Amino acid sequence: MTGRRGDAPDADADPEDIDLALFRERTELAWHRTGIAFAALGGAMIKTTPSIGLIILAISVLIFVLGHTSRSLLLITIAVTAVSLVALVLAFFNGDPPFPPL
Amino acid sequence: MSSDQSRPGDGADDAAPDREPDARFTLANERTFLAWNRTALAFVVAGLAIVQLLPPFPGLPWGRHLLAVPLIAFGAVLAVGSFVEWGRNQRALRRGEPLPRSPLPRALAVMIAVVGVVAVLLVLLSLALE
Repeated sequence: MTGRRGDAPDADADPEDIDLALFRERTELAWHRTGIAFAALGGAMIKTTPSIGLIILAISVLIFVLGHTSRSLLLITIAVTAVSLVALVLAFFNGDPPFPPL
Repeated sequence: MSSDQSRPGDGADDAAPDREPDARFTLANERTFLAWNRTALAFVVAGLAIVQLLPPFPGLPWGRHLLAVPLIAFGAVLAVGSFVEWGRNQRALRRGEPLPRSPLPRALAVMIAVVGVVAVLLVLLSLALE
């Protein structure tokens, strides 16, 4: 860890309050957890719909990269919304039909 | 993000309305956004698992979809809502204003409660129809 301590830290202060590097590290870990969540979803979907599962896995790799570079929050929003829409389509067309024909 | 950033709230009377907020607050806002998006993904996964893995409710062929579709749709709502919230929070931090109240936690609690109640009703109804 390469974080620089702030000037004249308070002796009673929580170390996390005086070391910005810890905040950055926690944020990077949050990006990693988000990437892992995408990877888990992609891995689970590979069994049922391989093409969409692979796309979601690719998104997870992108999130890992983004966590270290640009941190585009809009891209995450678009990705989660797109995955939700795809999941909605799959829920309607890939399982048993909700309303069987009369 | 430079080290000489002003802290939101330190200079509420300052002339400059928009200032780069403290990096710690910016990062905390970003982590909150990511946490909401993971919650959104969890809703999507739960909805997909209900449709793909759960056996159909006896006598209620639409039962799984009744549970899954709102969960997945709410996942999309959470993703968009968290981005809007992140923007609102970031703007408030820049202006040194109090953070706006977020409707997302209440919506989340209501959604989980409603889906839970619907799930219980579906189970009871399917037991009755069995």
